[in-house]
Amino acid sequence: MMLQDGPVQLLCLTANSGVPLFTRGSSKPLPFSVIGSLNGVHMFGGGQGVSLLSCGTGGGGKVVWRVFKDSVMLIAVSGGQRSESSLTEEELYLQRLLDNVWGCMVLVLGQDEIVTLRNVERLKRDLRACFSLIDLLLEERQQSIMGNLTHCADSLLPPNPALLQEAMAGFAQAADSECGCLVIHGRIAAATEKWCHLMPQEVVLLLALIKTLSKSGSSSCDYPVFLPQTSPTVALRLLRFQLLPGADVCVLCGPTPSLHRAESQLLCQFWSPLVDSLRDCLAIGERCLPPSVTQRQDVLSLMLINRETHRSFSCVRAPSHQPDPVLPSRARCWELLKLFYIFSVTRYFHQEDSPFEEQTRSSSDDFLQGFSHQPQQCYLVTEECKCYGLQTSQHQLFLLLPLSVPTFALRSVANQTLSQIVTSTGF
Amino acid sequence: MSSGRSTQSPVIGRQQKEESGSENEGRKSDGESSYCSSNDLEPEWLDDIQKNGELFYLELSEGEEDLALTRANAHQQVSTNHVRFSEKEAEILTEQHKKQHSNSRAKGTATLKRLAKILRRKRRSTLRKGKDVPASILKNQSGQRHGGTVQKQLKEVCVYLNPKRLSALSVPLFEDGGLLEALLGVIHRPSWDSDGMRREDRLTIHGLVPNTPAAKCGDILIGDVLVAMDDVDVNSENIERVLSCIPGPTQVRLTLETLVPVDNAGADDAFEARRMKSSPPVSQLVRLLWGEDTAELQMSIEHIPHIVMYLSLKLDSASPQDEEEILYQYPVSEASRQLKGVRGIFLTLCDMLENVTGGQILSSSLLLGKHLVHVGYWKENNNLLVIGLPAERVPLLYLQTVMGDVVRTLKVMYSSLDSAFLEADHTPRLDHFFCLFFQQLIQPSRLREGHPVPPMDTSGTLFLDGLPAVRWLTLPPEIKMEVDTVLSDFESSDFGEMSEDYFGLRRMYVILGSCLFYKSYLIANHLPKEDLLDVSLYCQHYLLLPLSWEQRVGQLVVWREVFPQQRATAAPGFNTPQGRYFLLIVGLRHFMQCVLLEAGGCASPAVGCPGPDSIYVDQVKATLLQLEELEGGIEERLSAPPAPCLSCADWFLPSSSSSSSSSARERLDSLASSSPVLSKLVKSSSSPGYRGRSLFGERSRRPSPQRSLSDSGSEGPEGGVGLGTSRTRGFSPHSSQDSGRRIGARRDSLGSGGSEGSGGSGGLFKSPRKHPNPFHLGTLKKTLTERETDDMYNMKLSSGPDNTLFHFLLMDSVRGVFIAPSHRDVSLLSGSIHPQLITNFHHCCLSIRHAFRQSLPAKGRRGSGRPQSGGWGLGPVKEHGVLFQCTPPNWTDQKKPPPTMTYWVIGRMLLEPIPQEFYVCFHDSVPEVPVEMAFRLSFGLNL
Repeated sequence: MMLQDGPVQLLCLTANSGVPLFTRGSSKPLPFSVIGSLNGVHMFGGGQGVSLLSCGTGGGGKVVWRVFKDSVMLIAVSGGQRSESSLTEEELYLQRLLDNVWGCMVLVLGQDEIVTLRNVERLKRDLRACFSLIDLLLEERQQSIMGNLTHCADSLLPPNPALLQEAMAGFAQAADSECGCLVIHGRIAAATEKWCHLMPQEVVLLLALIKTLSKSGSSSCDYPVFLPQTSPTVALRLLRFQLLPGADVCVLCGPTPSLHRAESQLLCQFWSPLVDSLRDCLAIGERCLPPSVTQRQDVLSLMLINRETHRSFSCVRAPSHQPDPVLPSRARCWELLKLFYIFSVTRYFHQEDSPFEEQTRSSSDDFLQGFSHQPQQCYLVTEECKCYGLQTSQHQLFLLLPLSVPTFALRSVANQTLSQIVTSTGF
Repeated sequence: MSSGRSTQSPVIGRQQKEESGSENEGRKSDGESSYCSSNDLEPEWLDDIQKNGELFYLELSEGEEDLALTRANAHQQVSTNHVRFSEKEAEILTEQHKKQHSNSRAKGTATLKRLAKILRRKRRSTLRKGKDVPASILKNQSGQRHGGTVQKQLKEVCVYLNPKRLSALSVPLFEDGGLLEALLGVIHRPSWDSDGMRREDRLTIHGLVPNTPAAKCGDILIGDVLVAMDDVDVNSENIERVLSCIPGPTQVRLTLETLVPVDNAGADDAFEARRMKSSPPVSQLVRLLWGEDTAELQMSIEHIPHIVMYLSLKLDSASPQDEEEILYQYPVSEASRQLKGVRGIFLTLCDMLENVTGGQILSSSLLLGKHLVHVGYWKENNNLLVIGLPAERVPLLYLQTVMGDVVRTLKVMYSSLDSAFLEADHTPRLDHFFCLFFQQLIQPSRLREGHPVPPMDTSGTLFLDGLPAVRWLTLPPEIKMEVDTVLSDFESSDFGEMSEDYFGLRRMYVILGSCLFYKSYLIANHLPKEDLLDVSLYCQHYLLLPLSWEQRVGQLVVWREVFPQQRATAAPGFNTPQGRYFLLIVGLRHFMQCVLLEAGGCASPAVGCPGPDSIYVDQVKATLLQLEELEGGIEERLSAPPAPCLSCADWFLPSSSSSSSSSARERLDSLASSSPVLSKLVKSSSSPGYRGRSLFGERSRRPSPQRSLSDSGSEGPEGGVGLGTSRTRGFSPHSSQDSGRRIGARRDSLGSGGSEGSGGSGGLFKSPRKHPNPFHLGTLKKTLTERETDDMYNMKLSSGPDNTLFHFLLMDSVRGVFIAPSHRDVSLLSGSIHPQLITNFHHCCLSIRHAFRQSLPAKGRRGSGRPQSGGWGLGPVKEHGVLFQCTPPNWTDQKKPPPTMTYWVIGRMLLEPIPQEFYVCFHDSVPEVPVEMAFRLSFGLNL
């Protein structure tokens, strides 16, 4: 008997009393008794001064517990299907997921309402507002967005950055806001300077929120948000406008201006002259790089993280049509890229710390600290492809290459790719 | 003195006091010949056999230097002792060095007869050694002592006393010795005046009882006078009272009056030096093996949470007895208190998670205050084994391997977890077992304090012990053949007492096979792989391998019933005979032979719990004595320059001060001149043709052993400064362009394009120069002359002009052996960075091997076509490498940034033609193709 297979199931309970707040992620929720026991073991340990962090089972199952602000307990349960040895990798994924889910709850409801727990029934009702966002995070595994995992905002390098940047700054200023950004296909194409100073995880969550809002089909909306770290108790207004299908602009602002005024007056003023540029951006699509940047033909997919600005961009070059039987498919490439990222950061590279201070010691930390010398680069040769990871003080680069590239050439390919992108785009 | 080589003076004088009428004369030290036994039929280990037939007998011998010193001292001072004391007391004999005594001469002769009898069937040389060596000892000892004076001195000795042992012993207290004899192990015979009055109440030590704290501590000498205990003055009247006040296991400090010679300053110094050196008389490791001192060791890791529990999953709610579900627990101390408190978590999780995720629980992570603890689970029947280990010692990646090894060791020893844990009388043995287990994992360095073995870091211990393989030492073929012959002779059981004709009975045991260790290296193995792994797991766990690395094993006899895992789970279609299996391990000095015996089957079935049969033990000893002849050859191989050659990481970094830089250079020079191999490698050409041929021995360019570095320097500037240039290259961080160019050149030189370099080993065989298949050496080996084989040992693993290889490890999964540079090779290359590099290498290998293991279950899936997306992670990993950067420690120059050195650690898994795993660590200046290196290595060492 197996109650949980495949996808991740998320349980949310109150930390003190163990009242279930919601469960998401599986069509067949776990029986109440199981939920109760999962909560119970953690509470029991807490009484003895032992906090239970995670658990791994044969077949790659994993359970991770986290308590946020002493008020809410989140439990993620992932079923088998993966090989046993990927337990540490799975743990990182689940830890990030719990971080993000908690972030979502705060983003939508504000920290006060969740922490005080005045009325559990009302909280349960209110939490429904974040379900769409949480569901997006849960299914994000299949998508081409890496931010949930890396906690670095996915970006897109537009062909004419200066133009968009200028328009963005002007638009934000006119809307009495310092934070604004242009989102193309869920990635940041241009943003104001202040936006870049938001916490990386907040940006990732806002991008996810914008994605769910634009899915709803409305051309504009005015949504109150709390920023999990910079403003967890005071709500801001998120104004979002659809410029073109796939292209959204948003600003974080105070009480003014009204949505109507911004939409009717400012939008056209700043963005209508740039429609062609926006179309160019949309044309780039998932490639994320302007056509001017030449890339080696044999790179299947790559992800580049700027460790200072906490932005990343990633792309998969495998053709979506007529798949080459030798090369992994497009979807598989995304998956491999994510897996290789997790593999590298759990074992060798520095990873972005979890933004929430409690119980952040993950089991991979001790392994990382066990190295007496600093790992710089690493590679993997699997049966499907070759992976190469590289870390400098400013960047992290992850590459997927076909098996036909000789192993000893991987390093120069990686170095070349990095220097090419950095010099031509200044990323 | 020829006796010095084959005889060992024991640290512990074991006394057989009841055997002769005169007590004081009965003092005798066994093992003055490592073969000697106290009388014809009773070997000295006989008393140690436990009720269930198991035996773990370990006796140490002092190192040879100590022996020589002892002997020198014996000549100078001992006789004085003898004279003086015999005036005062009845028969105080100078047992300071525990030489054998006059009346043991008769026994010794008897033993010799027996020895000779056995050895007669063996080779001449052994016979010779066996015959004259002990005899010479007997002659030499008494006569040649000359005068000197002694003075009395006080010394303090700490011993660990455990009154609880007395009850465990279940032997009635020694009638006359009382607690002094039973607890401490000191024999004191009060002297009486002629009128029957006690003359003296000083506690002169007249003898030591074997296997007691006093005997084991090694610092209490016969003839010493016990003055005080924990600063309380003691005499023969109050000693019993003082001792009876000791409530539980504790350490006491004894103050002893001892005699120190003053006549000869030199001897005095030497004597003192010896005393200083042996001040921890017995290493922690040995004390741990003897099962003493565990309390102290356990105390030192008290602050680190760890636990092992065997829990029952069947909770009987009818009897609400507390802690009933704990079937076994260790340690019972502060370290385990919290973890024991939350055992409910383990039970619940084990019970519940199977239903939730569809898999047995394997591990969980807990945070205890600041300590992150990983808990491993192993469920068997209705019971659950839980082991909690600190995360900083055992990474989660490797927890499963550790669990698997423990469980397998327990199963080998007790056949199943249930039978190991459920029997009450196993508890003390399991306590010892897990004490060793935790000590090894949590403070491995402590166990090996002051040993020649380089202290092993936790990662190294974890990685090397976790490999399903044993460290192998390749021997020159002629020695290897000799060793194999001797072993085969032994295994054929073709000796009188063991043959069926001799007694007309079925033989007791069939020898299934044996393996031979020398200084912790496996040098010959006649066991199937799985049996070898079982045996080596046992040896690893009981630290027998590091033990035999030391000089000090006087005699080791281990006997126990084992349950080899391969034989327990017989393959379908093949019925192994329903026999019982016994493991016999005999160690003599650096040699250790493990023999797997079978009872039942062809041999007579075993009844009850048979103890070790002395005939078999003697035969193994005889075999080992015979092998000692080859020791020279093996030592030579061990002290030979490492093959393949290794570089030290520090050579690639400029030192912070010029003096140490020059010293590094000198060191290199001296090394190069001392080893012709290095100088040869320094200048080995990088042309592909040369490299291709060098594999098979480049005879025309083979340098004579006398050729030094300067010689090669004059030959060609490039070669001579090979290592020098590499050092300067280490200054600058590697530029990508540069490496790209070099990679290109390398590609050309390989003569293979595209992916063949590392994509598969095929490329190597496709190249126009015809390489013979390295893995089928059969025909090739025959044609190789001795000289060529010699050359093969002198190979270089890395390519390019410099030798860039730092470390390597090649594991052959089929034979269950691995090779790696020997301890000596590593210690030879000591620098400030190199040890760090080795630690890092091992740590990284943990990760690499973990990535490989992921691909093993996937092997079955290879036929099933392409992997489904969303399936199983990254998929099978064939090769994995990590590039590390290091800077010299304590860089003093503030103006310049510290120089950096980068190196690769690469692991490669080869599935064909035989599964092998290869781990290598080399400097980053030359791009290497690991598969090619593995090929060179496995070929050159003809594993």
